[in-house]
Amino acid sequence: MNNLFVLTYLIYLPVVIGLTLYVARTLFRNGRVFMLEIFKGKADIADATNRLFEVGFYLINIGFALRIMEVGGYWANDPFDTTQEMVEVLAGKIGGFAIYLGVMLFLNLFLFFRGRRKARQNGITIGPSTAAPANA
Amino acid sequence: MNLNLLSYLLFFPAMLALAVGVAQTCHKHGRPWMLRLFDDDAAFVDAVNNILLVGCYLVNLGYIALVMANWEPIGSVEQLLGTLAQRMGLIVLALAALHYQNIAVLLIWSRIKQRKQPHGRILMRPN
Repeated sequence: MNNLFVLTYLIYLPVVIGLTLYVARTLFRNGRVFMLEIFKGKADIADATNRLFEVGFYLINIGFALRIMEVGGYWANDPFDTTQEMVEVLAGKIGGFAIYLGVMLFLNLFLFFRGRRKARQNGITIGPSTAAPANA
Repeated sequence: MNLNLLSYLLFFPAMLALAVGVAQTCHKHGRPWMLRLFDDDAAFVDAVNNILLVGCYLVNLGYIALVMANWEPIGSVEQLLGTLAQRMGLIVLALAALHYQNIAVLLIWSRIKQRKQPHGRILMRPN
């Protein structure tokens, strides 16, 4: 192994996949409250929809992580071979991916809130949140 | 080990601890505010709060990792301290900006809510 590309990939993949799994689990464990409200307390359809969106979240984000894995550009003609360069490239890739994942997380949260607002406009909801007025 | 690598090794754990600490403080002490904003619906508030905590981790740690590249070559200990202080200052200032932005959002939101429900609980004053 004359350069560190393979090692970079071997570190990058577990980190981004683990990060995606952790974020998706947290998001959708807490998203259940929203789904229950959107589907008026019907637990079976709320859980099913939640699970479907969770799988979609995995697919989008792991797909994107794989798309950006390859070390190219400046490094393609001049492969790096020091630990310092490897740390810099890894930090750039993983940091960029983490911020992208953060944006996706907030987008999902926004969609949850939007669904909840629409569900409230369309009629009665079940649960303690009914105390709030529909236009809150 | 060259000094650039050593400075990364000092920089990353320190900033990681700081970002996690700030995020957890926001998570813990933002909760009473969110309870007021969402009419004491505890299950809902905890769900939103947990998602925001993860978002906070991701954005802050992502930024910390992004800053960790292209530092000038470090040749001596004094240069190491100078560079480290400069980069750490950048992160701490970014965290401060996000923190005040967070507080501003909570305050503005509670004002708007209070204006819509003038006879509800007074949100701007503690009990």
